[in-house]
Amino acid sequence: MLRPGIRRLFRLRPQSRDATHAEADEELQSLIASRVEYLVARGLTPERALTEAIARLGASLEQTRRALHQSADQRERRMRIREHVENWLQDARYAFRGLRHKPGFAAAVILTLALGIGANAAMFSVVDRLLFRPPAYLKDPSRVHRIYLWRTFDGQERPNTGVQYARYADFTRWTKSFDRLGAFIELKMPVGNGDDAREMNVAAVTASVFGFFDAPPAIGRYFSTAEDTVPEGAPVAVISYALWQQRYGGRIDALNSVLPIGSLKYTIVGVAAQDFEGLWPDPAVAYIPVSTFPAAQSARFGKQLWYSTYQWTWLRMIAHRRPGVTLAQADADLTNAYRRSYLAQLDADKGNTPIDVARPRASAGSILDARGPTASSVSKVATWVGGVALIVLLIACANVANLLVARALRRQREIAVRLALGVSRARLVSQLLTESVLLALLGGAAGILIAQWGGGVLRSVFVTGSDAGAPFHDERTLAFTAVAALVAGCVTGLAPLLQFRRADVARDLKAGMREGTYRRGTLRTSLLVFQGSLSVVLLVGAGLFVRSLLHVRAEPLGYDVDPILVVSPIMRGTTLDSVQTRELQRQLLERALAVPGVRHASLQNTVPFWASMNLDIYVAGIDSTDRIGAFFLNMVSADHFATMGTSILRGRGLNESDRAGAQRVMVVSDAMAKALWPGRDAIGQCVRVNVDTMPCTYVVGVAENIKQQSLRGAAAGDRASTGDAGFFYYMPAAQVRARDLGLFVRVSGDAREQIEPVRRALQRVMPGQAYVSVIPFSQIIGVVTKSWELGATMFVAFGVLALVLAAIGLYSVIAYNVTQRTHEMGVRIALGAHVRDVVRLILGQGVRVSAAGIVLGGAVALLAGRWVQPLLFDVSAHDPVIYGSVAALLIVIAIAASVIPAWRAARVDPNVALRAD
Amino acid sequence: MAFLKGTLDILVLKTLSWGPMHGFEITAWLEQRSAGELQVDDAALLQALHRMEERNLLAAEWGVTENNRRARYYKLTAAGRAHLRAESERLVDHFGTITEILNARSA
Repeated sequence: MLRPGIRRLFRLRPQSRDATHAEADEELQSLIASRVEYLVARGLTPERALTEAIARLGASLEQTRRALHQSADQRERRMRIREHVENWLQDARYAFRGLRHKPGFAAAVILTLALGIGANAAMFSVVDRLLFRPPAYLKDPSRVHRIYLWRTFDGQERPNTGVQYARYADFTRWTKSFDRLGAFIELKMPVGNGDDAREMNVAAVTASVFGFFDAPPAIGRYFSTAEDTVPEGAPVAVISYALWQQRYGGRIDALNSVLPIGSLKYTIVGVAAQDFEGLWPDPAVAYIPVSTFPAAQSARFGKQLWYSTYQWTWLRMIAHRRPGVTLAQADADLTNAYRRSYLAQLDADKGNTPIDVARPRASAGSILDARGPTASSVSKVATWVGGVALIVLLIACANVANLLVARALRRQREIAVRLALGVSRARLVSQLLTESVLLALLGGAAGILIAQWGGGVLRSVFVTGSDAGAPFHDERTLAFTAVAALVAGCVTGLAPLLQFRRADVARDLKAGMREGTYRRGTLRTSLLVFQGSLSVVLLVGAGLFVRSLLHVRAEPLGYDVDPILVVSPIMRGTTLDSVQTRELQRQLLERALAVPGVRHASLQNTVPFWASMNLDIYVAGIDSTDRIGAFFLNMVSADHFATMGTSILRGRGLNESDRAGAQRVMVVSDAMAKALWPGRDAIGQCVRVNVDTMPCTYVVGVAENIKQQSLRGAAAGDRASTGDAGFFYYMPAAQVRARDLGLFVRVSGDAREQIEPVRRALQRVMPGQAYVSVIPFSQIIGVVTKSWELGATMFVAFGVLALVLAAIGLYSVIAYNVTQRTHEMGVRIALGAHVRDVVRLILGQGVRVSAAGIVLGGAVALLAGRWVQPLLFDVSAHDPVIYGSVAALLIVIAIAASVIPAWRAARVDPNVALRAD
Repeated sequence: MAFLKGTLDILVLKTLSWGPMHGFEITAWLEQRSAGELQVDDAALLQALHRMEERNLLAAEWGVTENNRRARYYKLTAAGRAHLRAESERLVDHFGTITEILNARSA
């Protein structure tokens, strides 16, 4: 009898359904016939015997047949599946054995793929969070929108997400397309008491925001609309699960305890669901009612009320579109509401741009910030880097494909033998694919490790905060990696198959051990060109970003960054009269200067790239300074210019004599001086600030321009895109009775190390609940330059990786070709070829391949340039220097990769080579 | 005749442990061994055979009977032999327990 495995060998094709049924019928018939025979032998008549035999079936003949067809069908189906699995396991075992015998080859392939797949897994976890994954627990994400407001300035329509509370209220009143609207703001606020207070992320949300999510609170409750009302809501807070664990050890009595946030004392009414992150990449530790936020921030608006003024833009808005309402309808509805709201705003503030000029329009965009029109440069760069990672994987795949092709060529005889022995091509294909998929899966597993450790760095730079995207904790990233590995396995496995489709069994068997004469591998060459061109694209990208970064770094800011600390006192409800305020400011300056290592300190009320202020100014002879541009100011104390390292070009800076009661003075920026008094000396000119009936403030000095809104500022005169033409002036804080002043502190040495000493020294003079926050200025400026730094580092890292992979690929192919052509080289040398000729022959091959790559990659980069241009800084995406250097670099690398094989070819000893047959 | 779940399978496996047989031989053998006590419905028997072949407990092959009739012969596989050993032990234990309970008298 047969072993079950043998059945498989002889029944090459699976049985059809009909054949299975016929077989079952025959078996049944055979059994009935045997029983009839038996009964007849016992003396029954054939008729009676048949009746009896059918009775013994236990069911009618038809029922029995049907039941047997069914059981036979099932049997065939299951056995077929088992055969497949067994085949596959056998292939896997075979592949595994094969790899164990070639550990070097296996390691090279796995490492190459691991780098490619790991880079992608890491970038996927970043890009997924930015572009694809809706916030955790969000209900019905496709109908939840961020609301974008568009207005036309200087003939250009620009998007914005900021709204005033009044605007939000208008939208809730005047739109019909949404069944839920919410508004929120998230920012750092002091949480806790006294010395224990820390600045943490707090989200002020409308009560409706919780309704967007399906995340029941871990304990307690979320706050309700009744607690979130104007003019001031109830001081109740929901804390995050993480804060509950850290601060309260997960105890139930956290409920109803008091948590100071900002200037208010909140009662904790609930703990948010675990992993609830709201809409923010950087999760908040607490959620408070929007209507308590102005009080918590001690925000003041003169006579205006926070909930009716259109002058305080602080919230973002989200909305859930009603079922059955199309996006276009929703946009029309929003625009309509926005226009009504804008008219209401004009009523309150006549000075605003007329509606026909501003042309307000609103639209509902994706809930994901990075997909909207106001996406940050960082998220755009992240998306590009995601694409770059994909290119690296393609290069890795091309390399692996090349290695596999080389291996398949070496195994040509083995494969021919197996084909000759009658192994089906399908089985052979599945064997080879199994091998490459197995390699890719191992590469993927190693890649996950790379992504886990290396990816943490990427996530922390692109999406601040949480570790939720780490591959080990995230099934989406794991799934992506698995798919990437499978696809990589199939794609790389395909290359040798292309080779082998043409396999000619007879010729391959006849060929000697030398594996026949050298054949040009078109496939392998095209893979090399492909790799080369992808490397060119990446290197051009790297060049563009590096040059941008160099330009950004070289851009004069007009002040120093690294040695400066920014100090902000947060009063938290402690109110001081003007005498006390002045005394506190004086003490803060004095204390700061007493800290060892502090060089200078000065007061300020605005910080470049962080907070700005502008007032109307009036100058004799100019109708409206508004037409010229926006004039920003800072209220500072005497030592400001020395503290910041801003130089005075003409006249003098501010000093101690510019006190209250003395002549009112200001220092203006060079750009402002030139714009207001072209061709004249600015010094001694009169400027009326805020109201045109104010007494004159006289210009006493001209300072160098500073960047404070945009890096592309005054130099480009690019007012249209930034609203910042570098028009800036400084007034002595003492003469304008400024409140809410912070400090700039200049230290020697590393500013970061001075944070704590300065904070401790200053905290001692803060009254009551008041609190002082100290951050390095570089942290603020870092945000501005971050996208270029990221672009430059990531493109360079991936570009170098790509280049290394491409160089290895080129080297291995050329080296392989040289061994293939040993015989030919022997003949050439025997016939009198010089070393030089042989070297040139081999080098020429490498250089030709890379030249083709340069042309192709250059073309692709030129085309893609249009899209990267907005992310660059003062560099053309078609910068010829960069293209030229990349081309030169690639040629050099090609020569380097071919030199060793060429040298080896030139040293072929014709005696040995020709006798090898 | 109805059987306890799994019992028919064990009996068939046991029968086949004597050598390859076709369907009628199996039922005839069982009937003979049990002196006519066990009468297996033929439909149930054939389904059981298909099921066990599917589970790789049996292997099947067409052959010719003594009377020159084509019939499907079944044979135990290694897995089938292992299954028979494990299951017969379990069944014997099981019936032993049941017998004990049924024989119990009040003390």
